[in-house]
Order: sequence, then structure tokens, then C-alpha cells
Amino acid sequence: MGLEIGTNPMDMDAIAARLVADFAAALTDVRVQEPDTVVARCDRAAFKDVARRLKAHPEIGYETLNFVAGVDKVKHLESVYHVYSWKTNTYLELHVEVPKGKAEIDTVCDVWPAADWHERESWDMVGIKYLGHPDLRRILLKDDFVGHPLRKDYVDLVENHPHA
Amino acid sequence: MGLMRYPKLEHFQEPNVITTTADFIFSWARSHSVFPFTYGLACCAIEMLSSGFARFDVARYGMEVFRPTPRQCDLMIVAGTVNEKMAPVLKRLYDQMSEPKWVIAMGACATSGGPFYDGYNVVNGVDKIVPVDVYIPGCPPRPEALFQGLLELQVKIQQHKFVAETPAAVRAGDA
Repeated sequence: MGLEIGTNPMDMDAIAARLVADFAAALTDVRVQEPDTVVARCDRAAFKDVARRLKAHPEIGYETLNFVAGVDKVKHLESVYHVYSWKTNTYLELHVEVPKGKAEIDTVCDVWPAADWHERESWDMVGIKYLGHPDLRRILLKDDFVGHPLRKDYVDLVENHPHA
Repeated sequence: MGLMRYPKLEHFQEPNVITTTADFIFSWARSHSVFPFTYGLACCAIEMLSSGFARFDVARYGMEVFRPTPRQCDLMIVAGTVNEKMAPVLKRLYDQMSEPKWVIAMGACATSGGPFYDGYNVVNGVDKIVPVDVYIPGCPPRPEALFQGLLELQVKIQQHKFVAETPAAVRAGDA
């Protein structure tokens, strides 16, 4: 109580250590990357549960989802979540690996409602399917667009240029 | 055909009469009361609205009344990149404009796709969708370039013939 806005009562290494201790099974490669950012990789199967617990964590509590990004890492895809903790004024960057063959991951719309449009954009551009999303439609491209253009192996299709 | 020669103020120092042609007076009036449609799609829109403010002041040409509805406009200034999702919307809005109507493709994107010509979702020129009267090069064009485009459009509007050259041509056209 009575915390000044913008201050961090915890040391960054303490935050990382706390995450390792509490999420040992799911989070790997936890490290402090920036003065205010912890980066971690998360197991895909455990991700939904981790998201719920990260939000409800009593001391760190990542209440806010800033954005979701889809990334094509060529060998696999990645869904990257940037979440923010008001209690510590720090960020967590959560990388979840998604295989290309079965590009599916659980939605976090019911944990952080802000994920709605971000997951639609990631589906639209990179083609990661968010299971359980309430309305997984394309958001930027037209509805009958073929393919996902930010995939590295995307080739421009004639079908996508009806006005050429 | 260049711009028309206008009567000068000193011709009106005493009560006077002007004789002119119907073509001249109607196209003169029409070309100086163009209502542009607010169709800014990208950075060209910044130059377009900059040209509307006091420093450049498009009101000098009688074209300052930008309307946000196609039904009150007769000039569509396509200022920016048209993508495949916007294309049917643009076509529909063009169809809703009342005749006579003109289109200016402002900048490289609206002219040919510009720096995004090989993009996955870019229409390579608005002329693939609607007929274009004037192309303005630039990325983005400065307000002065837009004004030159507007003056070129005025020349084009003034070439319109309201009165048929011979009555017989009208009858042949009607039949």
C-alpha cells in the first residue's frame, strides 16, 4: 500500500528468482534482459495455466497484457506475450514456441481480455491458431485472403490481387 | 488549351456588360467550385490537410470545402496507399458520388503502388479501380504539387462542352 507510481519494491534478480521458484516446471531460460524486463520461455502445454497464475501472483502479479506478437522463427513459430506488472512496474516477455505443423495454442482472452484483437492479428499475419478464442477472424486483411503473409515461406499469390 | 483569360477589375470601373459563351461561364463556375472528398489513406493525407490550412490555403482555388461524405463531393483526391481490403470500399464511395465527378491520384502509391508495389495486399494504382483524371507524382507530393494537380484538373474541367457544337450532333447522339 502507498507505493509510489513507477517504483519497483523488488530487485530484478529477485523477480527472476521468484519466477523460477514458482514456475519451475513451465518457465525455462528465465533471465533479466533490460533494467525493467524479465524474459522467459514457456512450455506450450502449461501456458494457459501459467498465464492465469502469473496474473494472480500475489507479489508480482502481471495484471496487464500489453501486446501479443506472432513471430516466424523459420524452424518454428513463436507467440510472444508482453505483460506488465503494476505492483513492481516491470515487464515480462513470455516466448511460447509453437510448432509449424500444428500451429495451435490456447487463447488467453479469458485471462487478459486485451488479447482478443492481438491474437486475431497474429492469426491473420502469422497463422497461429488460438484455441478457444471467441471470434478468431482476420482483422487486417480481407476475409478471403489466402495464406498468412508474414510467414517466411509465404509467396505472393495471384488470388490475393483481384485488382492487379 | 491553357487557363482561361479572366476579365480584370479595371474593366468594371463603370457600368458594363460582358458577353461570353455558355460553355465559358458554366465551366468557369464549375472549375472554381470543386468539392473534394476527404479520402486520406496514408502520409499523403497529411500533405492534403496541410494544403487546406492557412499556410498553403487551398481556398484560393475555391476548393476548400472538404466533405466527409461522397454525396456532397465531385472530386475524390485519393491520398495514399490503396490496399485490396480498401478497394471495394473506394469503388463503392466513388459510385455514390454524384456526376460530374473527377478523381486525382495523389502521390506514388495512388498512382502505381509506389514503394509498396510488390506488397502482398497493395493495389498497384487506384486507376485499377476507378478512372483517374490527374496523377500527381511525389512521395508525398508537397502542397504546391497538389495545387498544380488541382490547376490541371481545372483546365480539364474547363474543356467540357455544355453546348453541342452543332444541333445535328445532339440529335444524332440521342438516336
